Amino acid sequence: MSSDLMSAMGAAATGLRAQSVRIRISAENLANADSTANTPGGDPYRRKAPVFRAYFDREIGADAVKVTGSRLDMSPFELKYDPSHPGADANGYVKLSNVSSLTEMADLREAQRAYEANLNVIESSRAMMLGVVSLLKA
Amino acid sequence: MADPTNISVFSLMKARMQMLGERQKVIAQNVANVSTPGFVPSDINQEAFAATLQRMAGHGPAGGPGRTAMAVTQPGHMTAPGGPSLPGVTAHKSPDSETTLDGNAVVVEEQMMKIAETRMDFETMVGLYQKSLGLLRLASRAPGR
Repeated sequence: MSSDLMSAMGAAATGLRAQSVRIRISAENLANADSTANTPGGDPYRRKAPVFRAYFDREIGADAVKVTGSRLDMSPFELKYDPSHPGADANGYVKLSNVSSLTEMADLREAQRAYEANLNVIESSRAMMLGVVSLLKA
Repeated sequence: MADPTNISVFSLMKARMQMLGERQKVIAQNVANVSTPGFVPSDINQEAFAATLQRMAGHGPAGGPGRTAMAVTQPGHMTAPGGPSLPGVTAHKSPDSETTLDGNAVVVEEQMMKIAETRMDFETMVGLYQKSLGLLRLASRAPGR
């Protein structure tokens, strides 16, 4: 029984880790929202998106989650006319990164919410376990 | 009788606490996979568990009071001692009210409600267990002390 609660906490902990990776990737995207190429006609920073996968963790004994890596967002870059820019192509256009700060902020919020939900699971499991331990005291 | 877990009230409470612990684990899996594409949440099959409790309390077809036995549904079946500790505790897929575009059917709010429910039930059980232990203690105390 208590091993079930331990598994619950283990699964929630992997959720915390996965969501923090997601927040990190979002932060990387936001930090590089204005990164452009410095060679003429080169590609700017391309947005990254985390890939989540459910797997059965034998050590934890529950279906845990992990971020298996990140995939590049292949949506097209926006063009800006700025002939004086070092990254401008022959026609004077600079490619801007495909990071949308609005999307990233929404994603960050969602990650935060999921993180808090996992914390809530850990807190509840801990309280339940302490309840059982308190049986020994009374 | 010396072992308190053999008293049917205690074994019933123990079974329920086991089920609630298992349910907490299942919900934790759902919450951990809240961002996994295609993930469908699970929950404990309450009806099957209720049937197990009925059997344990001695109202069902198989098993005597205070213990579970494997169900005998065919004349060729043999009654086997032991088996899984709680045969009624099985998880089944139970998608929440919304499914996102990536096929994920976990709604955090609904899972949080289930977590609160499980915790409340569990704490009720711990309280009841404590009270029952108190009764035993009262009964075993020397008179006038």
